[in-house]
Amino acid sequence: MRSESVGWPRPFQGLTAFLWTEVLVQAHEELAMATSMVVQGVLLVFVWILDPTLIGVALLGAVLFSMFTMGQRVLNEAAYLRIDHKANELYLAGPLTAEGYFLGLSAGVMIVYLPPVVIVGILAGLVVHLTLVEVGLLIVLAFGVWVCAASIGYIFSTAFRENRAIWAYSSLFFNVFGVLPPVFYPLTKFPVALRPIVLLMPPSAAAAILQTAIGAVRPPAGEITLAAVGLVVEAVLLFALAVYWARRTARER
Amino acid sequence: MTDLALRSVGLRKTYRTKGSPPVEALAGVTLEVRSGERVALLGRNGAGKTTFLRIASTLLRPTAGAVEIFGVDVDQHPERVRPYIAVVPQEGKPFFHLTPREQVYTYLRARGLSRETGKARAEAALEAMGLTDFADRLAITLSGGQRQRTMVATVLATEAPFLFLDEPTIGMDPFARRSVWASLRALSRRGSTIMLTTHYLDEADELSERLYIIDRGVVRVSGTSEELKRSVGGTLKVHMPGGAAEIERFRSFGRCVPDGTGLTVIAAPERLGELMGVAVAAHLTATVGPVTLEEAFLNVVGRSIDEE
Ligand SMILES: Nc1ncnc2c1ncn2[C@@H]1O[C@H](COP(=O)(O)OP(=O)(O)OP(=O)(O)O)[C@@H](O)[C@H]1O
Ligand SMILES: [Mg+2]
Repeated sequence: MRSESVGWPRPFQGLTAFLWTEVLVQAHEELAMATSMVVQGVLLVFVWILDPTLIGVALLGAVLFSMFTMGQRVLNEAAYLRIDHKANELYLAGPLTAEGYFLGLSAGVMIVYLPPVVIVGILAGLVVHLTLVEVGLLIVLAFGVWVCAASIGYIFSTAFRENRAIWAYSSLFFNVFGVLPPVFYPLTKFPVALRPIVLLMPPSAAAAILQTAIGAVRPPAGEITLAAVGLVVEAVLLFALAVYWARRTARER
Repeated sequence: MTDLALRSVGLRKTYRTKGSPPVEALAGVTLEVRSGERVALLGRNGAGKTTFLRIASTLLRPTAGAVEIFGVDVDQHPERVRPYIAVVPQEGKPFFHLTPREQVYTYLRARGLSRETGKARAEAALEAMGLTDFADRLAITLSGGQRQRTMVATVLATEAPFLFLDEPTIGMDPFARRSVWASLRALSRRGSTIMLTTHYLDEADELSERLYIIDRGVVRVSGTSEELKRSVGGTLKVHMPGGAAEIERFRSFGRCVPDGTGLTVIAAPERLGELMGVAVAAHLTATVGPVTLEEAFLNVVGRSIDEE
């Protein structure tokens, strides 16, 4: 029997190639890249008008929020490619693994939408005077938020049978989870009683840790532990679930 | 590994969708495809062709029964089957913001092929599908048939050991269709096994070594194109406009199929002279042609409709 890949497929075979395919596929949307920053820009202006001393916190929040809303792009893209192009069938009935497809698509989306986020991140670094360690923390947290968001986005993308239905819901979820909780504003402005809820949401958990690290807020140690442990556990579990789900839904029932 | 490329035994699929009654798309399909063979699945809309292809290509789980590809059960070990297959999905589309050249090349790379092999195969496939002139235009600017050619080029370039093609030539012009046929023949000569569905019966006739006619989820007939044509009961068809009224005069010659006021008689060549004599006596004009796969298909599926 002839084959280009004899034997068992390696776990992420073809992933990088598919990732770059996704980058090429998405990169033509210059406008989408610009509009990906509109909500953040508006909120930054609000904060600037209301309390300019919070602009540093808001800029860091903008980075985390941007990483979180990439989940929405993953959701839209994965559903669109499956429903309109049958790209999942083309790729999954082949050596590329289901998790390779999920990761390649998500990472491709991230790479395309990352440049404006990096600019905001640099701006935040300059305004807040981040130390190297804090920059490292920002990157790790941003990555953790992205893992959660991409996983959630991909899992939800499999639930839809037509694209029209998605438009109504996807932006809602990602915007509400990113805007309402203390991401753009300090954790300490949020009611103590309700804090456990927002500390278990990836973007606000990451924001709470960052705000504490730069000394903008001083919450009880328990809250930061909850945020940190919660974020790690969520990232790991959501990623594992997304991989499991990608494999499971590679075959329709 | 066996000499059989595909073996399906009692394959069943019932779709269950909330809010609508269950649909039994496959009601026990048993069939075999030998290594290197070109096989066509024929059937009316909704017969179950796509369902079969999707199960066999690891994209859909069966309700019962089993399919083996190269001796491996697709439902139990999809990950072991996938490296050996490639699929043109029904209604699949290339990425709109890639050019055909990028589409084919990036797909081959995602399947783990090297840069050199990817480039060489992509160029060859684009050339074979007559896409060289459009190879650097974004797919969004291509016509429907050009996009479909891009899809087929993408999959044929894999040279996978087992190729599934669901209506691969839909919307293609006659030249493009012939290019697809030529490429598929070349691939099967080099050892690939090919299973396709089509509604173009001339395509099935031309291309496939064996045919399966599927109707309402079961295989009605299988055989070579010649065998199916012979089953119609004659090798010539004689069409007479306005002949329906005279149908009784022709019954002894073979199957008589009235269509409106016209009449088609399936006859053996030996009795053609006699038949023409009767037609002249009845003041009918007649055109004579060979029986095609279309008559065989209408015959087989028509009979099953009559049985309802
Ligand atoms: N996802 C689905 N959910 C429910 N029913 C389905 C689904 N897909 C197909 N069916 C039903 O299963 C039956 C077989 O469909 P299938 O797509 O396999 O037919 P087909 O032979 O490929 O037809 P066509 O020539 O139109 O492509 C049809 O009755 C169809 O309505
Ligand atoms: Mg079909």
